[in-house]
Amino acid sequence: MEIEIRFTSEPIVIPPVAWPSREIGAVLEFQGLVRELEHGSAVPGLFYEAYEPMARKILHAHLAELGALHPIAAVLFIHRLGWVPVGEASLFIRVLSAHRGEALDYLAASVNRLKQDVPIWKRAAPPAG
Amino acid sequence: MLPSNPHRVEITVIPFAQARDTFGFASRAVPCTPDDTPRQIVSRLWPAVEFAHLRVALDLEYATWDTPIGAARELAIIPPVSGG
Repeated sequence: MEIEIRFTSEPIVIPPVAWPSREIGAVLEFQGLVRELEHGSAVPGLFYEAYEPMARKILHAHLAELGALHPIAAVLFIHRLGWVPVGEASLFIRVLSAHRGEALDYLAASVNRLKQDVPIWKRAAPPAG
Repeated sequence: MLPSNPHRVEITVIPFAQARDTFGFASRAVPCTPDDTPRQIVSRLWPAVEFAHLRVALDLEYATWDTPIGAARELAIIPPVSGG
């Protein structure tokens, strides 16, 4: 199983699909966008920060562990950092697998894991200073 | 002059997100000993800190506030995460 994790301070550009084998039957892509309403208040965007080396390490462990539960061929995970305006993607996940069931389960579980203990934070305004 | 302490070490304290606002710095090298716990180290920097909603990581691994730091060289203060 291939795991690729990227963090970027630039707008997420969806990369072309790289096929690990001819046995891929499902390609599932998810984008998480910044919405205007955050906790009921209108915001122009959100500021994201990460403790990147630890976030990478924990994410990799989660993504590998989920691969044992929902066998897939490859996952590409991209999280944007810094200021992300409303309507732009803060998150992109692509899952490749032989069958759709594993890909759908894997994708749902990976987004849930992201919100558990991966040190990434969003806030309505950039930090002071 | 105090005798030098062979067990004196230094750890880099890094508060993230809201914790950085509270502490007022992004990173600081703090003298300590391997027997110090994260709670002791952070309390010396900010005696009024409320630990209830903060987690601590030592060298990229979640730890507990009351376990001695041992050989760790980086202490991250981690508020509730909100990625995605």
